[in-house]
Amino acid sequence: MARLIRTEKEVEGNFEEVWLVVEEDPLQQWPAGPLDVVGRPAVRKDARERVRGEARFTADIRLPGMLHAAVLRSPYAHARVKSIDLAPALGLPGVHGAVGPSEAPGLEHEAGYSGAPVAAVAAETFGQARAALDAIAIEWELLDAVLDPEEAVERGAVHGEAERYERGDFDRAVAEADVVVEGTYRTQVVLHNSMETHQSVCEWVDDRLDIYTSTQYVWGVRNEVARELGLAPDRVRVVCEYMGGGFGSKNSAGEYTFAAAELARRTGRPVRCALTRREENTAAGNRNATIQKLTAAASSDGTIVALGGEFVNALGWGGWSASTEGPLKILYACDNVRTVRHTAKINTPPMKAFRAPGFVEGTFGLECLIDQLARALDLDPLELRRKNYASSNDGTPFSSKNLRECYERAQKHWDRRDEVHARSDATWKRGVGMASQIWYGGGGPPSYAWTRVGSDGSIAVVTAMQDIGTGTRTAMAQIAAEEFGVPLERVEVTVGDTSRGPYATLSAGSSTTPSMGPAVRAAAADAKRQVLEIAAQRYDLEQRVLDIRNGRIVSADGNLSVALDEFLAILGNAQILGKGARGPNPTGMSVLTFGVHVVEAAVDVETGEVRVERVAAIHDVGRIINPLGAESQVEGGVIQGIGHTLSEARLMDQETGRILTTTLDAYRMPTIADVPEIVCEFIDEPDEHLTNLGSKGLGEPPIVPIAAAIANAIRDATGADVHELPISREEMLRALREAKERRGAPAAV
Amino acid sequence: MELLRPSNLAELDGGLFVHGGTEVVPLLRDGILHAETLVDIRELVPRGIDGGRIGAGTTLAELEASPHIPGALREACRLAASPQLRNMGSLGGNLLQSTRCWYWRLKYPCRLHGGDRCHAAEGEHREHAIFANDFCASAHPSDVAAALLALDARVRTSRRELGLAELYRLPDEADRRTTTLEPGEVILEVEIPPAEASIYLKAMDRKRWSFPQVGVAAARTGGATRIALAGVAPVPWLLAGPEDLDGATPLPRTAWKVEVARALVRRALTEVT
Amino acid sequence: MPELRLTVNGADHRLDAPIGTSLAHVLREELGLIGTKIACNEGHCGACTVQVDGAPVLSCITLAHAVDGDVTTIEGLRDHPLVEAFVRADAVQCGFCTPGQVVSAAALVAATPEPTTEEIRHAMAGNICRCGTYPKIEEAILHWRD
Repeated sequence: MARLIRTEKEVEGNFEEVWLVVEEDPLQQWPAGPLDVVGRPAVRKDARERVRGEARFTADIRLPGMLHAAVLRSPYAHARVKSIDLAPALGLPGVHGAVGPSEAPGLEHEAGYSGAPVAAVAAETFGQARAALDAIAIEWELLDAVLDPEEAVERGAVHGEAERYERGDFDRAVAEADVVVEGTYRTQVVLHNSMETHQSVCEWVDDRLDIYTSTQYVWGVRNEVARELGLAPDRVRVVCEYMGGGFGSKNSAGEYTFAAAELARRTGRPVRCALTRREENTAAGNRNATIQKLTAAASSDGTIVALGGEFVNALGWGGWSASTEGPLKILYACDNVRTVRHTAKINTPPMKAFRAPGFVEGTFGLECLIDQLARALDLDPLELRRKNYASSNDGTPFSSKNLRECYERAQKHWDRRDEVHARSDATWKRGVGMASQIWYGGGGPPSYAWTRVGSDGSIAVVTAMQDIGTGTRTAMAQIAAEEFGVPLERVEVTVGDTSRGPYATLSAGSSTTPSMGPAVRAAAADAKRQVLEIAAQRYDLEQRVLDIRNGRIVSADGNLSVALDEFLAILGNAQILGKGARGPNPTGMSVLTFGVHVVEAAVDVETGEVRVERVAAIHDVGRIINPLGAESQVEGGVIQGIGHTLSEARLMDQETGRILTTTLDAYRMPTIADVPEIVCEFIDEPDEHLTNLGSKGLGEPPIVPIAAAIANAIRDATGADVHELPISREEMLRALREAKERRGAPAAV
Repeated sequence: MELLRPSNLAELDGGLFVHGGTEVVPLLRDGILHAETLVDIRELVPRGIDGGRIGAGTTLAELEASPHIPGALREACRLAASPQLRNMGSLGGNLLQSTRCWYWRLKYPCRLHGGDRCHAAEGEHREHAIFANDFCASAHPSDVAAALLALDARVRTSRRELGLAELYRLPDEADRRTTTLEPGEVILEVEIPPAEASIYLKAMDRKRWSFPQVGVAAARTGGATRIALAGVAPVPWLLAGPEDLDGATPLPRTAWKVEVARALVRRALTEVT
Repeated sequence: MPELRLTVNGADHRLDAPIGTSLAHVLREELGLIGTKIACNEGHCGACTVQVDGAPVLSCITLAHAVDGDVTTIEGLRDHPLVEAFVRADAVQCGFCTPGQVVSAAALVAATPEPTTEEIRHAMAGNICRCGTYPKIEEAILHWRD
């Protein structure tokens, strides 16, 4: 039965208090450990079509008569359109329509950053559309631009009030502490660079708008477009069957969707609007830069008595301010904590969520500082972390927490230190570093799934979610197959179309599996129950003695064993329809994911080259559905994190606010040659309080601790403290020089 | 636009020359190069390795795989660009590639584009030059050119023969070009004198597919060792000796490159002597 | 418009296209071979990789009219054992770069049937995968004939 509750809902670490209609979740969790299908490695259901190039991405959608749109963008960091004339563009060959500022959501008169969308043109070819942009007559009024985040905070150019938090008495704890360490850390802007750029194809079919779009949230796009365009939500259909990566940047509709929809309306033709790579790297979102001034204080026995941080999130013109202080508040047991977070509003491209926003940045600062504290205390860094283990989240119990077990498993990797040090030589210094991970990933309601069982014996799971490349289709099929008692290949999962299935959550915030999985299991259980009801009547047995195992209906006494598809033939044209809903999260509990990375790194002390040689990643995310896919997620997160740590930086011209690293020769993501040995371990212990599955999400956790673990390994190898990401040769050589000077200087008093 | 494919040099009459296209095609699209006529010169330019003579049409992939060329050149090819680009790009084209300076590639009205200031010098220049950077701070990206400069290679064009160093010129107020190649002139062949030992060392910010932050080539012939650098000046840069690095004039954010160059020069010299 | 002749996956094609048209554009828009993806469109990422006479090249910056060899796209490699090797190894996440990865890998194993890890890393470095499937790609290529 549906129930109305008032609860806190979390997405990407953002909380809001909402009314929520939830359905009860009567299923008991499965026993821990690998089952018949769940917990066993499974090849992706859709791997073959993706590998063979048959999968149709939004980039591959071609509709009859489709036009191509190009977007006019501001060349100025801050300016207002004084006047604009689209007519010259409309007169050019191939051009069918144009749309100006305020004529579609996202196209605005005020451009808050260089690259802000202003107008768009649709033509027969993209080249024609692009050429037509040059013909648009536009007059700009230049406005004052602020590009420096600290200057912005000083001048009051901020998004909202500073976010302040305090527990205990921070000042007193610091004053009375035996050891106090401080550090300033900076993280850079990094770019998502999904291989498929942001794009949509829009077509009006009578009064219905069909949107094919590369998105992490088909329902979110549906609702946003309906709201902005004043349409009934079911007049908007959003389709995303295959999706070329998002990493947090594709959670909303975007100007490209609205421009395509408006141009399609004006021209009566389908319109495609796809960002170029350069637009992608200018205007499609980024992980914002941060500045973190941190303090940690401890008593001489290693008890952390105070943690403090002053943070600046350099947000850009838009986006939201993620909780950079989050790890500092919840990773360790500490009675006295004070944080303040300023959010600078500067004239740079807007932030969008990027794989654990806030926590990636905050963990870099915090976990480097904790290592510094360990040195000041002359304590083993792993021991210090164990000693300050948090047993609650500021008084709220954890639904489950196996971080201690992660530390136990990290020990054998940590114990390789001597061996690693011994491999150092005159120029290459080797060391080991570690960092802990904490992040959300519990998901939540609502989310729904349907199941359909036919006389052909097939089991279809239908839900209007999207698989953005994380293997969701496969995990859902595994859950349905396990519950139903059939082999994996008997289950097909249909996703990616708001008109063909019930509401499903967004594929972001490590929430897809924990949100969708329980609904899929419930839907499979509902259908299975009905199958057994019919079987009980057919064989004149009590339903409670019947079960489906490995594709056969069996009775407890073993007298009945009939193949499911043989039995289901009885249905004829009848179908068994199951439905399932995601139940509520446990009340009064904090649902979080945990982990530890142990990194072995080598530094060429003469040239500043840093090589990550080995990463041991141990994660506690509840029950693992597909160990193969889970390992891929961890490897992917680690590799992306290595890019963030060593080679990726979005650079901007400080005079004009223009982005300089818009191309992939200048914005350098890791290649296959940069990949270290990655050892991946899971605790695989179901969270007994969380849904009928006990599973949490895994998309984000593996990218959280990697930067700090690398920096700590560098410190171990060389004695050099890096404070800034990326750890370029320039930063590495600076830190080495500083360490040398420190060693040369008289001992501190 | 038209595409011509002349089969002998006498047919050449203007137009923009294309070989592998890895540089010309993107620059055309970006409006940095302009042409009504493209001239596919692949049939005109020799391809292949014959002792110390290398056809300018030889691809970097072919050079990378050749046991018959000096180590510095082979390594410079192996570490250049990406595998696909090495399959496409020719030796001659590689020598003529333009800087990766983002201001130049994004068409800022900089000095190389005929403007009156170097945007990099006052802006983001962490990957820019440490030598000869007062007029234009761009860095020359050719690994291969540095290797050939150290190897004291000579270049034969459709009109003349010249030392590799003479192929390049520093841009100045009067002339913003970085090569001495005249319109209509085609590089046909590179000739490398025998070297006893040679090496190319390259600092990159990822292990592959990166233009040189600093590339150092060293080659020993007789008693003499030549050292040449990539990524440190608007043209491939010859050092008289390691002490030349004392004369570097780094920008505020390129001082680190001097340090990297020092280490790589030291290592390269140890390897070849 | 100038005539363009291409041999793609063994089939001959004659079509008209303006000079300057990229091979990737012709494959996708004229021949409907959408397995070749365009991700950067300027030669930096490898998503558009096809083979010309067996050598991996970037079709997004290849002038279609200058192609003078046989073109092989992912559509011509769909039955290559590498496809199953990629599937088995989970060497695919979002899948947008994957066809290009397979095309590069197929050229590698044709020349070097038993590549070492170092050879794989050298030959595959021009195919960027933002999802980070690299360890699985390496695994798939190491065991492509299993």
